[in-house]
Amino acid sequence: MTIDRTDSRELTLDILTEILEKGAYSHVVLRQALSKYQYLPKQDRAFITRVTEGTLEHLIGIDWILDRYSKTKVKKMKPLIRTILRMSVYQILYMDRVPDAAACNEAVKLAARRRFSGLKGFVNGILRTIAREKELLLAAFSLDGEHMGMDGTGETVHVPLSVRCSIPDWLFSMWTEGAGREQVLEMAKAFLQEHPTMVRCNTSLAPMEKIGESLAEQGVHWEFSAYSEKVLLLTDHDYLEGLDAFQKGWLQAEDLSCVLAMEGAPLKAGDYVIDVCAAPGGKSLHMAEELKGTGMVEARDLTWQKIRLIEENIRRTGFSNIRTKVMDARILDEGAVEKADILLADLPCSGLGVIGKKPDIKLHMTPDQMEGLVRLQREILSTVWQYVKPGGTLVYSTCTIHRAENQDNVEWFLENYPFERTDLTGRFGPLVQDRSLKEGWMQFLPGRYPCDGFFVAVLKRVEASA
Amino acid sequence: MAIRQIRTIGDEILRKECKPVKLMTPRTQDLIEDMFETMYEENGVGLAAPQVGVLKQIVVIDVEDGEQYVLINPKIVETEGSVTGYEGCLSVPGKTGKVTRPTRVKVRAYDENMELYELEGEDLLARAICHECAHLHGELYVDLVEGELEDADKVQEDEEEE
Repeated sequence: MTIDRTDSRELTLDILTEILEKGAYSHVVLRQALSKYQYLPKQDRAFITRVTEGTLEHLIGIDWILDRYSKTKVKKMKPLIRTILRMSVYQILYMDRVPDAAACNEAVKLAARRRFSGLKGFVNGILRTIAREKELLLAAFSLDGEHMGMDGTGETVHVPLSVRCSIPDWLFSMWTEGAGREQVLEMAKAFLQEHPTMVRCNTSLAPMEKIGESLAEQGVHWEFSAYSEKVLLLTDHDYLEGLDAFQKGWLQAEDLSCVLAMEGAPLKAGDYVIDVCAAPGGKSLHMAEELKGTGMVEARDLTWQKIRLIEENIRRTGFSNIRTKVMDARILDEGAVEKADILLADLPCSGLGVIGKKPDIKLHMTPDQMEGLVRLQREILSTVWQYVKPGGTLVYSTCTIHRAENQDNVEWFLENYPFERTDLTGRFGPLVQDRSLKEGWMQFLPGRYPCDGFFVAVLKRVEASA
Repeated sequence: MAIRQIRTIGDEILRKECKPVKLMTPRTQDLIEDMFETMYEENGVGLAAPQVGVLKQIVVIDVEDGEQYVLINPKIVETEGSVTGYEGCLSVPGKTGKVTRPTRVKVRAYDENMELYELEGEDLLARAICHECAHLHGELYVDLVEGELEDADKVQEDEEEE
């Protein structure tokens, strides 16, 4: 028998090439690679994950630095050399336990092994220069105040704020126009922080004390979220799927923002709920849990693959008041018209609220794509509203921070369909206060709240009138 | 000691049932030594006698746990759990594929002194034991691969999306 014993830096290079040069999704490539090389020691696996995610997270700043110290601009470099340099700069600047000399030497070796021996000097030269300017560069990238200094080139290092925030220029402008510089700075800091794993507890399956005990037994450190008694923050665990409490269905991976948003739905016993874009099913399961065995949640999504993810989660919890259906949300389902007490439209979106966890989104997303998403969201909304009973509720949500996909869509929807705003004051608990609650919507911003960026609007279908 | 030639898929000998070893001879001792040498040369973690063209029930394993295992006339007597993971085979060069194997196995076999012993293996060792014992009955991991056989030098791509 043989097993793959690829060197972890070489593997990271391949993973990053897939993501950065071929546009693959970071979490998909990373998961596949780690499952393929499962015999790698734990520290190698941790190294691969850290360098991959960190390089993506800081890519904008890393490229800025490379452009400053390299005659050949990043855009013009050979893809392989570009990727080697990017991941090495990350190690030099942000990984204390990798000595700078090691990062440089390994980069040179990697270039040679991939038949770019001729560029060894180039790689070595740039990386050693950057390693020399490390302290200055780190200070210049600080998000607390302005730090300037002169580096070996004899010029002052001044890093534009958007680069320091690691947010693309166009997005930085869009956000500062909407929310102001201070708010965007807060958000950027939150995105760049470490995120604890958030889980929602199915307390109908086990009391909180029992869930807490089970976690503690397996050495997991946990604490309650200040914002929701159903949400726990986990640290010190290897991977969630391996925990007893997870396998028993007591836990569901779900960000605080999603959990809070679902609190906005006026759910009552016996309700019929349709979730039109449900995968992987966290919100559907949340509602099934809240219904305490009554009513029915119909979790729909576009493909079997997505439905399979939901089914897996249902099997784990054993809930019987939830079922799945493969269904394209753009196509009218005659049978569902005016059937739903609650309709959840948690639609495909640009995902700009979760770039702290999926940093490749900010690198791949474009204003063009976002326009396309607005069209798709409107297409779906213009179909699925018909499933709502008169007097019933439509919950519209996205995990993005983008006016056109969020507030503007709500305004457009209210103008065109028989729905009205509901007052959400107090619905998300005492700690969530915002003027927009009276308007029927809430935009959760990272930094202001300890969660992902998330948007939710709760709209009521008007009763039929003569 | 010598490095022996590895038989590759398509060679009929890989599909035949191997004969039990009745007693240890100098010839068989040489074979075992050659099998280790060949396995190390080719960067394998396990090798079965039919892979070097000998139809005898002999397996050597080294998964870098500090032990060199010799399994003669092995019989898997207990298995537990299941885990799906990638493996490859020196007889199927350049390829890899996903196979579901037990997480734990207990095997009864003779060692190089023809003394009966039991070995319990977990994870990689369990996988290697199952993979190598199957060779002795003409079975290859490609028979068990889930999905496609893939090229070993490339991280797999998928069109899955969010």
